[in-house]
Amino acid sequence: MQGCWRKRGRLPVQLIDGAGRLAKGPALLIILGAAFAVSAVSVTSGAYPLSAADILAVLKGELDDDIVSMVLFDVRLPRLILGFLVGAVLAVSGAILQGLFRNPLADPGLIGVSAGASLAAIAVIVLGGTWLGGWLDLAGVWALPVAAFAGGSGTVFLAWRIARRAGQTSVATLLLAGIAINAIAGAGTGLLTFYSSDEELRSLTFWTMGSLGHAAWDDVVMAGPWLLLSLCAAPFLARPLDAFLLGEHVVGHLGYNADWAKRAAVLIAGLGVGAAVAVSGLIGFVGLVVPHLVRQALGAGHRIVIPVSALAGGTLLVGADCLARVVVAPAELPIGLVMALIGGPFFLLLLLRTRIV
Amino acid sequence: MLLQVDGLGIHLSGKPVVKGLGFHLDAGELLVVLGPNGAGKSTLLKGLAGEHKIAGGQVMFDGQLMTGWSNRDLAKQRAVMPQRVEVNFPLTVEEIVRLGRPPEPLAQSMPILMELMELLDIAHLQHRLAPGLSGGEQQRVQLARVLAQIWDAEGPVLLLLDECTSALDPAHQQHVFSLLRRLARQRGFAVLAVAHDLNLAARFADRLMLLHQGQVHIEGLPSEVLTEGVLAEVYGLSARILELEEGYPLVIPRDDAHKPGYSWASFSRLAPEKPSCRQAS
Amino acid sequence: MRMSVLVALCAACLWLSIPVQAGQPRIVSADGSITETVYALGAEDSLVGVDTTSNYPPEVRSQPRVGYLRALPFEGVLALRPDVLLTTVEAAPDRTLERLKQAGVEVIQLPVARSPEGAMARIREVGRVLGKGPEAETMVADIRKRVERIDTNTEGTPAQVLFLMAAGNHGVMIAGQDTAASALLDALGADNAMGDISGYKPAGREALLASRPDAIVVAESRPGQFDINQWPQLAALDAWKQGRYYIGDSMLLLGFGPRLPQAMEAVAGVLAKAGPVASAAH
Repeated sequence: MQGCWRKRGRLPVQLIDGAGRLAKGPALLIILGAAFAVSAVSVTSGAYPLSAADILAVLKGELDDDIVSMVLFDVRLPRLILGFLVGAVLAVSGAILQGLFRNPLADPGLIGVSAGASLAAIAVIVLGGTWLGGWLDLAGVWALPVAAFAGGSGTVFLAWRIARRAGQTSVATLLLAGIAINAIAGAGTGLLTFYSSDEELRSLTFWTMGSLGHAAWDDVVMAGPWLLLSLCAAPFLARPLDAFLLGEHVVGHLGYNADWAKRAAVLIAGLGVGAAVAVSGLIGFVGLVVPHLVRQALGAGHRIVIPVSALAGGTLLVGADCLARVVVAPAELPIGLVMALIGGPFFLLLLLRTRIV
Repeated sequence: MLLQVDGLGIHLSGKPVVKGLGFHLDAGELLVVLGPNGAGKSTLLKGLAGEHKIAGGQVMFDGQLMTGWSNRDLAKQRAVMPQRVEVNFPLTVEEIVRLGRPPEPLAQSMPILMELMELLDIAHLQHRLAPGLSGGEQQRVQLARVLAQIWDAEGPVLLLLDECTSALDPAHQQHVFSLLRRLARQRGFAVLAVAHDLNLAARFADRLMLLHQGQVHIEGLPSEVLTEGVLAEVYGLSARILELEEGYPLVIPRDDAHKPGYSWASFSRLAPEKPSCRQAS
Repeated sequence: MRMSVLVALCAACLWLSIPVQAGQPRIVSADGSITETVYALGAEDSLVGVDTTSNYPPEVRSQPRVGYLRALPFEGVLALRPDVLLTTVEAAPDRTLERLKQAGVEVIQLPVARSPEGAMARIREVGRVLGKGPEAETMVADIRKRVERIDTNTEGTPAQVLFLMAAGNHGVMIAGQDTAASALLDALGADNAMGDISGYKPAGREALLASRPDAIVVAESRPGQFDINQWPQLAALDAWKQGRYYIGDSMLLLGFGPRLPQAMEAVAGVLAKAGPVASAAH
């Protein structure tokens, strides 16, 4: 397999090693630079006109304008942080599950996390006025995110219980259980959609397309710990996941507890994606493509893939969010839509340029 | 006695595939396990590797029950090469071999990785991506990875190899088996290798163990195991055995094995039972 | 490259979105009917932005759009520097509204109108906010007069009306209970022929045949959206064959805005054709 970068031939030769990959040091610098650049753009762009000078003035305390500081500190900053965390978690979960399933096409959607989370969220939207009224009263503004989180992690737990037999977790069964759960959750979602009113339908369509537009510090406080936990725990899986690339049994031969690794992988991905979906709705593509690109550029070793995917995923999502908020300003595009619009064609191009996926 | 197996039973989907099997393996010994497809060779190896649950009997490794070993400790003394390892991800040869090593800085692994890649004739492939290699090259890469795991092990070493030369050309087959024998002799590794090539086994093994229907049919020196009667009985194979000057037998299958009219059905009269075709070979 | 596109887009949007109107309150209207009312009261100069449900009158299309009423973006609304966000209780999310209030925007959420009285009350309320009280009173009086002139059926059997919404190009939706469509029929003293379902549901061809309505009303979101040729079952109904049907704009029919009398007159005209069944007191 040839890395896609070599064929482009635009990068200086010394950046590429014998396997046709980018050298790790420069690659890391590039991606860190991109992360900072995109963060700067994210803080300075948006519907509300704020110049870099204004922002500097506010930071220095020279400009005392409540609205400007509100836009900066209560809108753009939490949005940037949440966007970065969500993107990072989606990409890392994708990397983990692709390694676990030894399939570069695996994605957090595959084991039913997204489907479970969206079913729960849609149930709250549609049944909030009737059957689930009590839940709305109890949870208030948290009703939807908490339900999505519970739905996401609940489905993962269910898939995992089904796949667990005689003390062993079968990855193949996990995959099939995920597909079945996806179908069931999809049917549930469809049923709720059928019974929803026109207005409810509109809100749930917006939700399923994902958005960071309503991100506030509350969201950071609620989802942040789970997202961070998932991000911090993921690197510990790097070595067992490397072993998984050679086959499920090889993990045990190399001295790792394969079952423990599977459990941890599913838990990390489930909690992380559940929390991500809860605050930002459904955002596809990041989990599938970011780890894929990172692997193509830097190799499949998870000690590299996991941290770099986190950085790249966060950067990508923040970048897409910048686009989402300026293209049709003062309105906003759903970020899932932006992601699919820029990501889909890009991915296709990549497939055409490389022979083997 | 490094490995002592007594009355071992292993069930697959409820069916007994290995039944009441017993043998032993000493340090410094190369034992080749033979047998027709479905005889239970791989199942036995997987049972010893901890992939299958053991339904009966016991396995002692270095004087301690195999089940009493922790995964981590066992990995330091025992390495396993599965029959097939498929790599779908862009890992280089060097990275795969390094997967056998415990967590340590690359500089520390490097001498061992280089030595093994030289030994297995894959040094020139060091930075190639595994999915683009030929079957035989991939097999040598895996073998290097398996050896990397126990290369600097302290204490006893057990190698479990399932058809580790099946994709190699004759020269590399000879090369790998002579390497295994050298490792056994010089470094005291206990090697249990499943193989199909009778002559390769006869040439390099200290002992042969012939499995049939989940049990040890016969076990001993190559010249004791590879006899016309045994081969006919277990494989349904008609063959001539030459005792070579070098001190090991050579098996030459007879032409009449392919004569018209000499069908598989007629073998069943020779063999006590038709060679079974269980899923697990 | 991407940076410069971003900056250009940003600059363009900002330049478009800040017409300076000294003296008047700057208003963002997030509801189609409210926007319509603002225009009808001649206060469109106060508007600095509308939502995506605001499509009438056609001039409204030149206004900056802040997105959908149920997914209002905080920064997007704030960027228009409004004094007032005029919307309905349907506006969401709550947190955006809350933060807009914190940022000093007056958020006014009017009830959703589902009756002529409700529509008139809403017009008065909008007039008050815009400082166009007298104009609103005149408009309400006019509406009241026109509505009262409409002959609504109060005696005899109410007419059974099938109310459909043309939905995109993939069929029609039946309007059941708890919809603006049902509310319009109530105002006219007619019955919803599909009263046993609630909300908008996809229409089955067989169910259409079984409904046997006295009259049919079709709401479409753009003219010509509904094509009777695709619905032979509807064409086979007596009501359709005898011309007792009305096809109209959904905003007109369901908005309960300033054009309510026009909507009621149009549907009442069709009901009148239903004859003795519908209006015994004609």
